[in-house]
Amino acid sequence: MKDCERIRELIAWYATGSLRRAESAAVTGHLACCEACREELAETLRLKVGVESEVRRMPRLPDGAWKRVVASVRGEPIARIDVGSFLLGFTLGARVRRSGVPVYGDMRLLGRKIRLFNVEKEAGE
Amino acid sequence: MLSDQQLVRRVAAEDEDAFRDLYDRYADRVFRYVLTLLRNRHLAEEAAQEAMIAVWKSARRFEGRSKVSTWVFGVARNKALDLIRREKRGDRVPDVSLVTPDPAPALRKQELVQHALGALPESQREVVFLTFYEGLSYGEISGILGIPEGTVKSRMFHAKRRLAEVLS
Repeated sequence: MKDCERIRELIAWYATGSLRRAESAAVTGHLACCEACREELAETLRLKVGVESEVRRMPRLPDGAWKRVVASVRGEPIARIDVGSFLLGFTLGARVRRSGVPVYGDMRLLGRKIRLFNVEKEAGE
Repeated sequence: MLSDQQLVRRVAAEDEDAFRDLYDRYADRVFRYVLTLLRNRHLAEEAAQEAMIAVWKSARRFEGRSKVSTWVFGVARNKALDLIRREKRGDRVPDVSLVTPDPAPALRKQELVQHALGALPESQREVVFLTFYEGLSYGEISGILGIPEGTVKSRMFHAKRRLAEVLS
């Protein structure tokens, strides 16, 4: 009975396959000889399917959220100087956002942007 | 395809393309997690956006000692709790239904699950979500919630008992 209590504590994570190997082996061994705990596992699996299905029916984050996130992250550009090309070039820019005014420098190398520096004085610090 | 850890390293170097990839992997999952906590769509949108902004800002401090998912959900939880603190709880009106209505009548059982989950205390609901939907271990959940592993197991035990009562 004590074994059953210990096993039932773990059964939810056994059902999702997230137990450590030793714990999982212990649960498997116990289930082989305990019908009550096998029923508990079956009930837990039904619950898991119900929860997964319920969460999948929840709404998704609206598309506009990315725009708001990226606007907050980037801030509004106030100055920008580009030199070079897509393959090799440099950018010096400044933006305004609520937290301060970041000044940044990027290098473009074979189409990949590499941030060289980003200096920002945080507002309120 | 880059791993989550690789993406976070690039985000720490302010690579916006990497941030877009990380956002695509996590934003919906974060939204559903905070929606599970807050039970209010508008607040959950706000919390999810703030969480993703915080991920961008704090990527440099991510040391890689935990999984990226554990770290992101921890950030999201803090944002949701901040919002709860900022709002007067009594003023918030939970959404009546958080799920898209489905015309199929066979979903009576699903309605029961929805009702049963909604009836759980927030502390148990999030353990159920993180275990069954996100597939996190009790150790990872303990890390996100900042509570002992035994408390995670106990919350799951009580949640399952309540769910069984409602669903039986």
